[in-house]
Amino acid sequence: MPKRNDIKKILIIGSGPIIIGQACEFDYSGAQACKALSTEGYEVVLVNSNPATIMTDPELAHRTYIEPLTKEYLEGIIAREKPDALLPTVGGQTALNLAVELSESGILEKYKVEMIGASLRAIKVAEDRLWFKDACRKIGLEVPASALVNNAKDALRLCDQLGFPLVIRPSFTLGGTGGSIAYNKEEFGEAIAHALDMSPVHEALVEESVLGWKEFELEVMRDFRDNFVVICAIENFDPMGVHTGDSITVAPAQTLTDKEFQRMRDASAAIIREVGVETGGSNVQFAVNPENGRMVVIEMNPRVSRSSALASKATGFPIAKIAARLAVGMSLDEIPNDITKKTPACFEPTMDYVVVKIPKWQFEKFPGADSSLGTQMKSVGEVMALGRTFKEALQKGIRSLEPSTPWRAPSETPDSLLREKLATPRPDRIHWLLTAMERGLSAQEICELTKIDPWFIQQIEELTAMNRRAAAVTVETASKELLREVKRHGTSDEQLAQIWRTTPASVRLQRARYGVTPVFKRVDTCAAEFESFTPYLYSTYEDEDESEAQARPKVMILGSGPNRIGQGIEFDYCCCHAAYALREDGFETIMVNCNPETVSTDYDTSDRLYFEPLTLEDVLAIVEREKPQGVIVQFGGQTPLNLALELKRNGVPIVGTAPESIDLAEDRRRFGRLLDELKIPQPRNGTALVPEEAARVAGEIGLPVLVRPSYVLGGRAMVIAYDVNTVQEYVAQAALMGPARPVLIDQFLEEATEIDVDALADGTDVVIGGIMEHIEEAGVHSGDSSCVLPPVSLSPAILDAIREYTKRLALALKVVGLMNVQYAIQRDTVYVLEVNPRASRTVPFVSKATGVPLAKVAARLMTGKKLATTNLPVMRRNGVAEITVREFYSVKSPVFPFNKFRGVDTILGPEMRSTGEVMGISTSYGQAFAKAQLAAGQRLPRKGTVFLSVNDRDKKQLGALGKELSTLGFRLLATRGTAAALASAGIEAEAVFKVNEGRPNIVDLVKTGKIDLVINTPLGRESFYDEKSIRRAAIRYNIPCITTLAAAHAAARGIRALLEQGTEVAALQDLHRGQAAASGVPASGD
Amino acid sequence: MVFNTSLTGYQEVFTDPSYAGQIVCLTYPHIGNVGANAEDQESPRPFIEALVVREFSQVCSSWRSAETAQLYLNRHKIPVIWDIDTRALVRHIRNVGALRGIVSTDGTPADQLIFEAKKLASMTGQELASRVTCGKPYGWDKGSVEVAISPCFEQMGESDAPAEMRKHRVVAYDYGIKQNILRLLVDHRCEVYVVPAQTSAEDVLQMKPDGVFLSNGPGDPEPATYAVENIQKLFGRVPVFGICLGHQLCGLALGGKTFKLKFGHHGSNHPVKNLLTDQVEITAQNHGFCVDPESMPSSTVEITHVNLNDNTNEGMRHKSLPFFSVQYHPEASPGPHDSHYLFTQFTDLMKEFAQPGSLRR
Repeated sequence: MPKRNDIKKILIIGSGPIIIGQACEFDYSGAQACKALSTEGYEVVLVNSNPATIMTDPELAHRTYIEPLTKEYLEGIIAREKPDALLPTVGGQTALNLAVELSESGILEKYKVEMIGASLRAIKVAEDRLWFKDACRKIGLEVPASALVNNAKDALRLCDQLGFPLVIRPSFTLGGTGGSIAYNKEEFGEAIAHALDMSPVHEALVEESVLGWKEFELEVMRDFRDNFVVICAIENFDPMGVHTGDSITVAPAQTLTDKEFQRMRDASAAIIREVGVETGGSNVQFAVNPENGRMVVIEMNPRVSRSSALASKATGFPIAKIAARLAVGMSLDEIPNDITKKTPACFEPTMDYVVVKIPKWQFEKFPGADSSLGTQMKSVGEVMALGRTFKEALQKGIRSLEPSTPWRAPSETPDSLLREKLATPRPDRIHWLLTAMERGLSAQEICELTKIDPWFIQQIEELTAMNRRAAAVTVETASKELLREVKRHGTSDEQLAQIWRTTPASVRLQRARYGVTPVFKRVDTCAAEFESFTPYLYSTYEDEDESEAQARPKVMILGSGPNRIGQGIEFDYCCCHAAYALREDGFETIMVNCNPETVSTDYDTSDRLYFEPLTLEDVLAIVEREKPQGVIVQFGGQTPLNLALELKRNGVPIVGTAPESIDLAEDRRRFGRLLDELKIPQPRNGTALVPEEAARVAGEIGLPVLVRPSYVLGGRAMVIAYDVNTVQEYVAQAALMGPARPVLIDQFLEEATEIDVDALADGTDVVIGGIMEHIEEAGVHSGDSSCVLPPVSLSPAILDAIREYTKRLALALKVVGLMNVQYAIQRDTVYVLEVNPRASRTVPFVSKATGVPLAKVAARLMTGKKLATTNLPVMRRNGVAEITVREFYSVKSPVFPFNKFRGVDTILGPEMRSTGEVMGISTSYGQAFAKAQLAAGQRLPRKGTVFLSVNDRDKKQLGALGKELSTLGFRLLATRGTAAALASAGIEAEAVFKVNEGRPNIVDLVKTGKIDLVINTPLGRESFYDEKSIRRAAIRYNIPCITTLAAAHAAARGIRALLEQGTEVAALQDLHRGQAAASGVPASGD
Repeated sequence: MVFNTSLTGYQEVFTDPSYAGQIVCLTYPHIGNVGANAEDQESPRPFIEALVVREFSQVCSSWRSAETAQLYLNRHKIPVIWDIDTRALVRHIRNVGALRGIVSTDGTPADQLIFEAKKLASMTGQELASRVTCGKPYGWDKGSVEVAISPCFEQMGESDAPAEMRKHRVVAYDYGIKQNILRLLVDHRCEVYVVPAQTSAEDVLQMKPDGVFLSNGPGDPEPATYAVENIQKLFGRVPVFGICLGHQLCGLALGGKTFKLKFGHHGSNHPVKNLLTDQVEITAQNHGFCVDPESMPSSTVEITHVNLNDNTNEGMRHKSLPFFSVQYHPEASPGPHDSHYLFTQFTDLMKEFAQPGSLRR
C-alpha cells in the first residue's frame, strides 16, 4: 500500500521532561518519527516541553513547539497549525494520555484531526487493565486472576479471595508508579491507599501474584495489510516481581523452546489484532511458570516504548522509524532494511550475539528511599552491552555502569546477610550473585533464593570458575591461551589486575605481547546471512574483524554512558550535534556509547557506531582500530572527561580544550591560584582530609560553609553546613567512603543570586552563548534551579563584569570549544563558583533560547575552525561578543522524581536530584515562568488559597509577595509566625495550625483540597518533620509547592501573566526568524 | 556445510531429515540451553552429520527438557565443534557458498582433511531422499502437543465445520518427512499414512487417498527421477500438496528446472509474499535447491509465493489440476506458524475434489 496522500501535515507529541520510566528513549523514537515522516514528504509539527531533546531541534520538524504538554496548549497549537493527523505513539505514555484527552474532549473532532498509528479504542483497551484482560480471555489467553477496585474496603475483601502475595497496580500511571507487592493485610492496606492516590482515576488493580515466574517481552509490529513480525524477544534475568525497567534483561530470549516461543508469538499476534492496533509497534509482556510452562499475559503497550528502543538497538531494526511509516499507510514489505539494503523490513531480525541491558540506579541521591526493587520502576538510566556470549555481554554491561571499577562485597558479610541480599532484589544483587558463587553457595540454592533461571546462574558459575582459574596464575605466568579464554569471558583488564594484584596497564601490556586483542563484529539484523552496509559494531574476542576502518579524516566522539541525575540527555544532545556538524564538514564521525535509550546510539546519527563501554580499555581498543585524527571528550559529561588524561597519556589525540586545562579547573587549589592571578573574586575556601583540619578551615572561612568531595557530578553528596559539627561529621564520613581525596570547604554565599554562563572559545576569541539567571538563590544546585534567559534582575554593571570574567577565564584556560561558568552575586560582587571547560547541562536550553546550536559551533572550533570566520549573530557588550539575545524570555525548570520515592524529603539543596527539565517561552517573564512550571507539572492556580510558611530571613521580605498575592485575589493562610509577619506588613492572613499544634492542621487542609498553592521556605532543623510532611502532602495531592521566596515571586508574576495573557503558543521557527541559521560557521572550506 | 539462523528450535533442526549429509552451523551463539525432549523430535533421530556452535550449554533449563543437548547428541554420536568464531565461518560460507567439509577428532593434519574433503561429492547430483525415507509404510495418528497449540491455530482447526466429521485420507510420501507435518495433518482431521519414497503411484492410488502429500527431504531433486515419474502419474488423479523437496519434485514433474542456491535458505525468518493475497508470511526455510520460475510452463502453472529477500520462487499451483506446493516449511517447527493456513487449504482442496465434477475439469 503506498503512503497516504490525503494527509499532509502531521502533529507529533513528544514525551516531555525526562522522568523515571520515561527517558530519552522517546527522544530517540520521536526524532526517528520526525525524520521518517519528513523524508516521506509530510509536513511535521512537533510539540514537546523538553528543550534538551534532539527532536526539538528546529531542523527536525517543519514547526517545532516547546510548550507545556497540556490539553490547552495542544489545542492552541492545533488551532494554529491545523494538522490533518496526530501521531501519538512515539511520545510514551504522556503522548498517549494526552491524545486520549484531546480525543475525548472533542478537540480532535473540532479541528478534524485524525489519530494515526493507534485508535482511541486500541489505546483504551490496551491501557485499561480490565478491558485488556477481557480481550485476552476472549481470544483464549490466560491472564493473572485480578479485580479492579476504587476503594479500600472492596480491596480488603479481595485479599481473602486471591490470597497473598498480591500485586497492586494503580491505573493510568507511568513506569508502574504507585505499584507494589503486599505480603500481608497490613502492607496491603498501605499499598492500596497509595495506589489509589497515585492513580489519576483513583483506581487500582489487585492481582494474583506471579512472583518468581519467568518474564518475557516481545516487541512486535503490524501494518495495515495485517502483516505481523516479531522484532525481538527479550528475557528478564530478574524474574517477575521486579519492574521490567528495573530488571537486567537479555535479548534474544535464552530459555525458550521453539514451541514455547511460537506460542508467545501467536499470542502476541492475536493480542495486537484483538486490541486493534492496526499499525505500528507494540510490546507484549508474558510470565511463564517455570514449573509447568503455564503462560499468562501481563500487559501490552500499543506504542513504542523503552523496550522497543532497546530492541531497536539490540537488533539494528529501527522500530520507531518503521512505525511512523506504517502509520501513514505503508506496508512492511515496501520499506527497505537500512542495514542490508537489499532485503525488506518485513522480516524478523535474527542475532548471532547476546545483548544485556542493566539498569542504573541512584538511591544515594535519595537518602531514606527504599532501595528494594518491585513493581514500580526506580532506575534512572540503563546501559546495554553486546557480546558473543551472555557472559561476555554481562561483564561488559557491568563495567559500562559507572563506576566501572570491580565491585567487592565487604569481606565480613555473614552468610545470612548474603542470603538476604540474594532473596531481595536490590541494585547490587548481580554483584552478590557473584560473591555467593565465589563463597561456594550451590547453584541450586542460589536459584531457589533468587528465582533466577538456572541457565543464567550456570553462566555466573562459569564466570566464577574462570576467575578461579585465572587466580591460580599471575600476569607474568598466564599463558596466551588462558589470557584469551578469560578475555573471551568478557573480563576487563581492570578485573584481571585486581585478581593478579597488578595494574590494568600491565595486563594490557601482556595482552599486547601475546596479541590478545579484541575484534569488532557487526550488528546486521541477519546473523551475517546478508552483507551489512552499516558499520554498527561491538567488540569481542574472536578471530575475524569486520570493522573495515576507513582511511578518511575522522573524529571520534565519546558519549555520556547511562543516564543519571546530573548527566543526562543534555550531553547526548551535544554528542549528536558534534556528529552532525562534523559529518557536514566532511569528517567521518565515530560515536562510542553504551546507552541504548539515546539518539547518539542510533546508527543513523554518525558514520560509525561502536556500542561499547566507556572505559579506558574499551575506548583504547577502538582508537587503535580506527586511528582517528581527533577524539572529543568534552561533550559527554564527566564520563569521558574522567578518561581524558589517561587517553592522552596513551597517545590519543584529544581535540578541543586540553585535558590538563579541564584538570586544572577541577583542582581547587590550582584553580584558586589562577583566579587570584586573574583578579576574579571567589568564595573563601579550603580543603581538609581529617575532621580537625576541617573544623579549623571552616572557622577561618566563617559559617555557613558548603562542603563537598573533590570531583563532582551533579553536586553529589554536597551539603551546606551551618555548624562546625556538621562539617566534621562530613569529613569523617567522606574519609570512610573512599581513597584520600580532600573534602572541599567553601564559604557559602547566603542570599546570593546564581548565574550560569555558557561560552564558546577558540583560544583567541570568546563568544558568550547565553547568561542565565537562577530563580532559586545560591545553595540550590544549578541543575535543580529554574533559570531565565536573558537575566531579569541584574544591573548592566554586573552583567559587564560577568562577561569580562568569562572572557578572561576562557582565555586563561585556553578553552577550545565550550565552557560553562557558575557565578554567585552577593551585594554587587560577582564571585566565581565553578568553571567547567566543557559542554554543560544548559547547552541545549541556550541553543533553543538563542537559535544558535552551540554544540555544533564548538565541535567545529575543536576541529580547527575559528570564531573570527563565523557569521554568528553577535552583539558586543563591554568589548565582549555575545550571541544576540532575542526579544522573548526562556525559562528552564527542573522536574523531580519525588513521587517515586516514598518518604524522601522534597526540599532543594546543593545535591542535584532532578531527572529532567522543561522550557517555557514567552514575551513576558511571568508567562514564561508559568509555562515552565506547568510543563513541569506544577499547575499554578489562577485563584483560590495560598498557604505560606517562611523562615525568619524571608519574613522580613514577605510584604511584597503577600501584597501581590492578595491583589491577585488569593486568600492567604499562614502559620502563626508567618501570619504575624504578613500582618505587620498590613496584609491579612488567617493563621492555621502546624502539624504538631492541633487539628485540623495544614497537612489536613492540603489533603482535603483546601489549598491551591504552598509556599514553604525551609526553617531549619527543628521544624524539619513538620515541613517535610507539608511538602510530601503537596506532592502527593499534586499541589504546586514552592520552596524559595525568589521562586514565589516569579510564580506571582506568572499567575498575573496567566490571568492577563491567557494561553499563547509560538513555534521556534518563528521565534528565531532572522537569527542566523544553523551553526553559524560555514559548513566547509573558508 | 551450511548455516541456520534460527534463534530457537535447535532440536528440531538436529532431527530434520532434510539435513542428512550436512554439517550444520547454528548462528545463534548459545545452543543447548533448553536441553532435549521427546516432543521436539522431528524424526526418530538427529540427521545432521555434525554441529558447529559458538557455545554449547552444559546444563539445560526448561520444564520440558529430559536431558541436556550435549548428552542427547552424544547418545546419537553426533560430533559437536564449539568455541570457534562461527560468525567468521558463516561469512565465509555466505561469500563462497555452501562447502564440503570434514569433522575429525583423531588428530589428522588439516591439509590431509582438506584433501579428503575436496574428494567428497558436492550436493549437486546427490539423491538422498531414498537414504532417509522410512523402510515401510506406517499410519500416524498423533496431533500437536498441548504446548504448541496456539489461539490462532485453534481457530484454524475449528474452522473446519463440525458437519465435516469425515476424515481425509492422506498418503504422505516420506522423502525425509518432518513429524510436525504429520501432526498438523492429524490436527486438520486427516487420516495419515506415510509411505517410502519409492512407493509407486499405483500403490498409492490403490490406498484410495483423498490427497497425497509430498514431503521435504535432503539432496538434489533432479536425480530423484523415480519420484518425478510417480508425481506425474498422480497429478489430476488426486489433490497433491508438496513442501520443500516435494515442491521441487513437482516443479520437475511439471516440466520445470531446479538449480542450486549459493548457500541456501536455512532459518525461521524468511519473508514470503503470497501473491494471491498480497500478505507476507514469515516462514521457516531449509533448502539448498530452488525451482526456476522462468522454467515453469506459464500456461499451466501459476506462481503463488515469492521470497522477498532474493525473489526466488516459494510456491506455485496448477491452473486446472488440484495441486499446490511451497518451497518453505508451513509446518514450521522450528519457526513461525504464519503458514499453517496451507494445511486448511489442502483439506479444502480435498473436500472440493471429493465433490463430483468440481475440479475434474
